[in-house]
Amino acid sequence: MLEIRHLTKVYDDGTVALKDVSFTVEDGEFLIIIGLSGSGKSTLLRCINRLVDPTEGDVIWNGVNLTELEGEELRKARREMGMIFQHFNLVKRSSVFKNVIAGRLGFMPTWRSLLGRFNDADRKKALTALHRLGIADQAQKRADELSGGQQQRVGIARALMQDPKMILADEPVASLDPVLAHNILEYLEMLNQEDNLTIVCSLHYLDLVQRYSTRVLGLRDGEIVYEGSREDIRAMADEEFKDIYGEEAQRITGSVSGDLEEFEIGGLA
Amino acid sequence: MNTNSLQHTPSKKRSPSLVPPYLAAILSALIPGLGQALARAMRRGIILLSSFVTILGLMAWRIRLAARRDTEVFAIIKKAYHLQPVLVVLSVMVLILYLWIIYDAYIIAKDAERTPVLLFFMLIAVFFMLGWQIGEIDPIAFVTKADDAAPALARVLWPWEKAISYPEEHLLATVDIQVPCTEEDPPPPAPEKIEGEPYFWATPTCGDLKTQDGIPGTILTIRGENFAPDTKVNILWEDPIGNEFRQRQEGEYVTTIPDAKGEFEVEIEMPYRLLPPHADADFYIWDLKAKQLATVGQAEPSMELKLAVEKIVETIFIGMMATFFGILLALPLSFFAARNLMSASPITIAIYYLVRGVLNIVRSIEPLIWAIIAVIVVGLGPFAGILALTVHSIAALAKLYSESIESIDPGPIEAIQATGANWLQTVMYAVIPQIIPPFVSFTIYRWDINIRMSTIIGFVGGGGIGFLLAQWIRLLDYDSAGIAVWFIAVTVAILDYVSAEIRERFV
Ligand SMILES: Nc1ncnc2c1ncn2[C@@H]1O[C@H](COP(=O)(O)OP(=O)(O)OP(=O)(O)O)[C@@H](O)[C@H]1O
Ligand SMILES: [Mg+2]
Repeated sequence: MLEIRHLTKVYDDGTVALKDVSFTVEDGEFLIIIGLSGSGKSTLLRCINRLVDPTEGDVIWNGVNLTELEGEELRKARREMGMIFQHFNLVKRSSVFKNVIAGRLGFMPTWRSLLGRFNDADRKKALTALHRLGIADQAQKRADELSGGQQQRVGIARALMQDPKMILADEPVASLDPVLAHNILEYLEMLNQEDNLTIVCSLHYLDLVQRYSTRVLGLRDGEIVYEGSREDIRAMADEEFKDIYGEEAQRITGSVSGDLEEFEIGGLA
Repeated sequence: MNTNSLQHTPSKKRSPSLVPPYLAAILSALIPGLGQALARAMRRGIILLSSFVTILGLMAWRIRLAARRDTEVFAIIKKAYHLQPVLVVLSVMVLILYLWIIYDAYIIAKDAERTPVLLFFMLIAVFFMLGWQIGEIDPIAFVTKADDAAPALARVLWPWEKAISYPEEHLLATVDIQVPCTEEDPPPPAPEKIEGEPYFWATPTCGDLKTQDGIPGTILTIRGENFAPDTKVNILWEDPIGNEFRQRQEGEYVTTIPDAKGEFEVEIEMPYRLLPPHADADFYIWDLKAKQLATVGQAEPSMELKLAVEKIVETIFIGMMATFFGILLALPLSFFAARNLMSASPITIAIYYLVRGVLNIVRSIEPLIWAIIAVIVVGLGPFAGILALTVHSIAALAKLYSESIESIDPGPIEAIQATGANWLQTVMYAVIPQIIPPFVSFTIYRWDINIRMSTIIGFVGGGGIGFLLAQWIRLLDYDSAGIAVWFIAVTVAILDYVSAEIRERFV
């Protein structure tokens, strides 16, 4: 269980990115955070795994207050949360395999990782992850030779290497086309349902939100302005959505929004 | 408030002129550009005025220079025009420019929307002609003198005859000649023959020298055997006190060329020579010598070729060592010169600016100048070259390195941190893979430059092949210079290829 209490983030330049944000995420939820650009979504996600240090407030993860952790303990906590990014954040010139197996770094002694000596179990795990995401045949390619959708799957594979209990996804589909967007989100949904991973994900498109979320949080100017269940969101009209989301809110093209069953995971690689 | 006169922007309208067009023209006739300035084309006026004054100043200087000795103005101008017809063209152009500026003032004042640009091409044309005159550009000389240069250039282009040489050996044979003949003493015997050595004898072996009054000397028939065929033999004398001098006949030195068997025969008249101070002896023994500089054995690389090889190796290593030292010192410096790493506190920012500033200054000084300084410090030789190139490399590499550090994508760093990796692991997996390719690429690029530079750093005493090249050019030894030029060209070409290959592999 993840509990956020009175989280506030003020950047060095004085920007208040989060204002007293509190909410709870139960295990197995697919929580989607929506909000305008600049509303603080990325900041919030990064405060959870401490890529950004919150100014005030607590992040309680399974009873441990992450904001108090340092060094080794913090890194151990981070291992339990995989993160995927809008721009994938792969090391472009490294191979797909190397990018994926880097997900094990938190589990191995430093000297081994400096020598690049990953053990067989890790290698096997990486191959399995690549298989699961349907990109095993790309393993030896340079990461930047892959298409956007494939790169995001490398990102997911890297996160899975951590055997995470939760996945933080910062606009994972914002730089992908609609078909690939569904593709990636269906994958996250599968992890959520089959592996019972908690997912905290920021998103832009209304129909994706309605389709995948079990719960939705709306952020505006660093404050939570909306909280709703899956049912609330499905019942929500575009106008209401725009209210919290702003005029920017949009559906992805109508042609793909209807019946989604046809998009199989990995089927569009 | 004003239009930019260099850019033709018809849409931009000036404020109306302060003076009527004809007045603007008159003002510009008095002071070129003043009319434009008062017509609210201030920048145009300033540009025209300053250019015109500059042009007049330069013209006056060139005319004075062309007719240095004259003092009277008219004479100076006349002579300058005579000596340098370009100055006539130039003067006409300046006159046209002057009239044009007047006309331009009229136009500018009359029509606030027009900003003609053609005038500025005229300005550029005048400066071009000035450059032509100041640069002493002389295409005719280029063509006519090319003929004279052709032989030298041909030697530079194909210097390889100088690349081989044959080992040489002095062949020498001597015969004793008694001066004068006496009745009591028998003339010296012919020398003994030694197998394999050149042999040389004369008949007779005694005689009288030619005298000052013109009484001819005794004619000697001299024969040689066992000399090198087809190679010049010099005939010399050595008088009793050891002075050597060459035999002359009718003003020419006597030489002969042995036949295919190495034999020769010449007749010589015994020369006039001041006799040594009178002594008791009735006669003196003079030595008659046949001397030959013969090539023996196989062709071998010439001295020059060996030197060139030696120095090109030195050159390559100068470049290499400078690159090594450059990398070693630039690496740590580059971190201090990377803004993204140094923006944490005011102190680090100060260090950043300091390092950047020093690097910029060092980099802006040419390696050749650094070499001159290094030669003063450590003396002539390769070490000076290495020092000079190292200093410049450090500055150049540190800048390039720091820029590639600055352009690191923070995304992967964030992602690797999020996996629970520690600092070292993050550097290893997210930072280094990003900076290695640009580092390798910049390093090779620098290596390339360093080797090129090391070929010429010798011109100022920095060691390497440039040192030889400069020397040979000064000695007008174009063959040897050609060898050096070839070595440089081939080295640089190979290096180009190699560095392109490496870069392709790594980047
Ligand atoms: N490193 C930083 N330093 C200063 N201000 C920052 C920094 N990162 C973000 N901000 C500011 O904090 C606010 C929230 O930014 P954040 O990136 O969290 O928003 P977001 O909702 O993720 O936006 P987007 O949809 O554009 O990604 C913005 O005003 C942003 O300008
Ligand atoms: Mg964001």
